[in-house]
Amino acid sequence: MNEKPTRRDVLGHAVRGAALMGMGGVAAYVSRRAGPEGAWRIDVERCVNSRHGAVGVAVCDKCATTCVLPLSAVRAVNDHAKCGRCYICPAYFEITSAIDERGLPSQKLCPRDAIRRTPIGEVDPRDPANNYYEYTIDEKLCNGCGKCVMGCKEPAGLSSIRLEVRYDLCVRCNRCAIAVACPDEAYERRPVQT
Amino acid sequence: MTRGLSMPGGRSLLVVLLACAAPALGQYDYHRPVEAAPSEEDIGGGYVTPAVQRPPPRAQWREAADVAVLAAALSLGAWLVLKRRSRNGLVALTIGCLAYFGFYRQGCVCPIGAIQNVTVALVDPHYAVSYFVVAIFFLPLLFAVLFGRAFCGGVCPLGAIQELVVLRPLQVPRRVDKGLGWLRWVYLALAIWFAALPAVSRDFVICRFDPFVGFFRFAGPLHMHLIGGGLLVLGLFVGRPYCRYVCPYGALLSLLSRISWRAVSVTPDKELDCGLCAEGCPYGAIEGLRAVRSSCVSCARCFDYCPRHRVHSPERSAASKVS
Repeated sequence: MNEKPTRRDVLGHAVRGAALMGMGGVAAYVSRRAGPEGAWRIDVERCVNSRHGAVGVAVCDKCATTCVLPLSAVRAVNDHAKCGRCYICPAYFEITSAIDERGLPSQKLCPRDAIRRTPIGEVDPRDPANNYYEYTIDEKLCNGCGKCVMGCKEPAGLSSIRLEVRYDLCVRCNRCAIAVACPDEAYERRPVQT
Repeated sequence: MTRGLSMPGGRSLLVVLLACAAPALGQYDYHRPVEAAPSEEDIGGGYVTPAVQRPPPRAQWREAADVAVLAAALSLGAWLVLKRRSRNGLVALTIGCLAYFGFYRQGCVCPIGAIQNVTVALVDPHYAVSYFVVAIFFLPLLFAVLFGRAFCGGVCPLGAIQELVVLRPLQVPRRVDKGLGWLRWVYLALAIWFAALPAVSRDFVICRFDPFVGFFRFAGPLHMHLIGGGLLVLGLFVGRPYCRYVCPYGALLSLLSRISWRAVSVTPDKELDCGLCAEGCPYGAIEGLRAVRSSCVSCARCFDYCPRHRVHSPERSAASKVS
């Protein structure tokens, strides 16, 4: 066994050392702006479904149709603090549909029937309109198609519904299919805000 | 409880609705019944506004755990191949990593795709890359400099799925093998080019044409399944076609493994010159009874074919004593 390192050994160490230092340098340069986490988020100010002023335009359902998951990782979220709890909710009902015998629009807006409408407290059967209703979105059914978001937007509603990426569902693809398809560049990778 | 306070509207809304001709009624002719959200006091009856349902993001410790699992798997892989020389151990590691990085983590983030994130972070001053991604990108490269392609052999889920389908590998003629190997560099250059484009036209081609991520998720576009299925069928007869001829990260790893500190040596002490290892290697990585560092993917198959290994390996001799 030769204890003394050969020229080949020394050269090898030098090359390896140089490679490691080079990699370390690139890693440090890349990490200079690195955050702890980069998750996909929807900017509600840019998304056409929730952007104020964008009324009378078609609903964008790219979140529902382009996600790589079988059921998109995007969900509609009703911010209860902003919700008007209306008797006839423009996000729950298809308000242009015919009025049925109860005096309510006969069709629902959600194609997957993912919104639940529950009266708050007792309802006077003679005056059901004079009551508050709570609207909750069923996470298991919603696919983030955005119809209710558009339906609830001012001035029709109070804009209490928005689209959100569910962090527990999103697999955080490098190349997010929704971000590619999003016509408003509202879908961005940003540090998570908790 | 809810009645009597400010509720200006259900009735008048109905009047509006009924007064308008139904087909012409757009939703913006509709007048919303309330101007502001009712407060908890308005609603009364001890009503509490429900919190917005918001699942927490994946905890940072779990992100860190991914990096730790990657580092542990790389170390274990390197140890199994270089020290234990155990094919069985490596197959177990491969299956474990396929389950974890493939099916549990659904193939994301992987170092192969991270090439693009790192490229964008290098060229775009507004792009922030997560430091977990940086770690996941550089760890296998670091291991390649030290121990060869431990990532390819035991850890990469894309490699694992191909490793497990190798049925009857054909030896690809060496010139063809070398020639096709250049495709990886072409793909790497294309991936970097598309990732380095300005943000509007940027494209992550490696992820778009990832062959197996569709299988890991049991979903995905048709072209992914077609490419993946085709590669797996090809992989029955040509060992690891994606790794050897397509994978851009494999190109980087094979370059770095040339200078690796430790590497697979088929027969470290006495060799028999029988050449069984070279025949057994499905990846054409044994030339002149020596493992070629750049093409050896650290799969440990050669040890299994070696008659000397069968005699001397601890696990083999234990098995032979029993039988």
